[in-house]
Amino acid sequence: MELNTLDWIVMLSTLFGIVGYGVWKTRSVNNVKSFLLGDKDLKWWTIGLSIMATQASAITFLSTPGKAFQDGMGFAQFYFGMPIAMVIICVFFLPIYYKLNVYTAYEYLERRFDLKTRMFTALLFLISRGLAAGITIFAPAIIMSSILGWPLEQTNLFIGILVIIYTVAGGTKAVSVTQKQQMIVILTGMFIAAGMIIYKLPADIQFTDALQISGKLDKLEIINFKFDLTEKYTIWTGLLAGVFLFLSYFGTDQSQVQRYLSGKSLNESRLGLIFNGIIKGPMQVFILFVGILVFVFFQFNKAPIHFNPGNVEAVYASPNAVAFQSLEAAYDVVFEEKQAAIRVFNASEENSIDYTSSLAMVKTLDQQEKDLRNEAKALISQTDENLDTEDGDYIFINFILNYMPIGLIGLLLAVIFSAAMSSTASELNALATTTMVDFYQRAFKSDESDKHYLVMSRVFTVAWGCVALFFAMIASLFDNLIEAVNIIGSLFYGTILGIFLTAFFLKQVKGNAVFVAAIITETVIVCIYAFTPIAFLWLNLIGGILVLILALLIQQLMGNNESDPMLDSSTT
Amino acid sequence: MEDQSKLNDQEEAPPFLGTWKRVYTYTLILHFIILCSLYFFFNQYA
Repeated sequence: MELNTLDWIVMLSTLFGIVGYGVWKTRSVNNVKSFLLGDKDLKWWTIGLSIMATQASAITFLSTPGKAFQDGMGFAQFYFGMPIAMVIICVFFLPIYYKLNVYTAYEYLERRFDLKTRMFTALLFLISRGLAAGITIFAPAIIMSSILGWPLEQTNLFIGILVIIYTVAGGTKAVSVTQKQQMIVILTGMFIAAGMIIYKLPADIQFTDALQISGKLDKLEIINFKFDLTEKYTIWTGLLAGVFLFLSYFGTDQSQVQRYLSGKSLNESRLGLIFNGIIKGPMQVFILFVGILVFVFFQFNKAPIHFNPGNVEAVYASPNAVAFQSLEAAYDVVFEEKQAAIRVFNASEENSIDYTSSLAMVKTLDQQEKDLRNEAKALISQTDENLDTEDGDYIFINFILNYMPIGLIGLLLAVIFSAAMSSTASELNALATTTMVDFYQRAFKSDESDKHYLVMSRVFTVAWGCVALFFAMIASLFDNLIEAVNIIGSLFYGTILGIFLTAFFLKQVKGNAVFVAAIITETVIVCIYAFTPIAFLWLNLIGGILVLILALLIQQLMGNNESDPMLDSSTT
Repeated sequence: MEDQSKLNDQEEAPPFLGTWKRVYTYTLILHFIILCSLYFFFNQYA
């Protein structure tokens, strides 16, 4: 598919405009503190938007509407624990970081425990975030290249190099100021997209009708009260496991900690976190709701039987082409019948005979449509078992490119690239800071000039940019990209959070005990993920609690011979 | 958490609601209201 010239102009001018603004705005950054912590002058709204932009990657805007299209609003529950986590961070984490005046969250661990615990935790962060940065770049690139025919490697390079330019030039401050612009572009683009979908619904379908139709097809069940450890999204995973995930992500992941440490004061940082806690959940609900609107739109406009055009092309070029075409023909018939049944349902009085019978018909046809989609997926697998049949990530972009007006397509592509760039920039900035502060400066060169550290911080930013690009080049498509990032996070976050919780709440536990506990826990978590059906969100809670319990037990067994570094440093 | 309580005693008041304890309480109440509203809004169509 070819992009119109106007779309190219809108997309490129938006992206280059933001990058140029970031570089210009931070041209005076000339010392390492300014590069790693900004000038500590950010107000709460910039911090809040920066925190939101760091978390919301391109995956958020590609995957989330697709998730709502396929499974409904249930994914929103994932974010229900966020305000609770924000309050806990404001009360316990933030004041300590401010008091100790740290550059990274892991510095605190050396003061509380010892060097090896600091380095082990920083290493876990580098591994998980380094991998995630690769996926953050790769996710939009693979989808854009598949839909628009852009070469994958060049698309990866385009995103990666743009991010590296302004992150290297202006460090933390460049990340924060560009994120503010990026969030404005993202929110504007998504609101316009939602408005356009409602505008493009048939004249006899009102907004409330759209809700009625999606509700009857089980898309609006936003809260699931069932307690089942194998279910990914329930109110319990959100409120219990989700709190642990967000505590770990926002409280101990340097890519987030660095955002609020660049605040003007403790108060500004707190307000930024609270702002994020309140706004983020509704924002995700809104993005999911855009997916629901796309679902309703496709009840009246024929959707392809499979949304990944690359897979469809592969089947068409194989001996399965005839079978696939007959599936498409059957799908067309079901679509026409379903559309007619929906119109009857929509026009009939509630609880009338027409209402009941047409609703039953809509549900039956909806199931048939799902069955046909699954048959199409089976045929794709049969054609080439290496093809990924999950097409949820392609739904929204497919809709944008085929049904949005010229100009708006360019803006929405800019939304996707802006989101990719905003989170990648935070990640590179945090990876470089941790490498610089927790490893290079701490263990190798502790007595160099400020200029040397500034140069090395820029070198590490470029190096991590190259590592992320390398992972992006070799990554393969997971079932759902947003899940892939969350799974990688969940494998490490529980342990990292457990170490921090031990530091804050179990004063009797010393470095050796928490270090051994963390290593055992990480091994257990990887085994649980590999060998049990427990949903990945629970790994955060299990990891966090396991470190606390093991650290306490091991400390009891070891006795109380170790010295306390915090006590030592305060008495010398 | 002795260090913690000392830190909290020394901190500045928030720009609204007087104390941080109140800000946190109202944040959680607001969150609860948002959750209930979302549930009842979508549930009427489900």
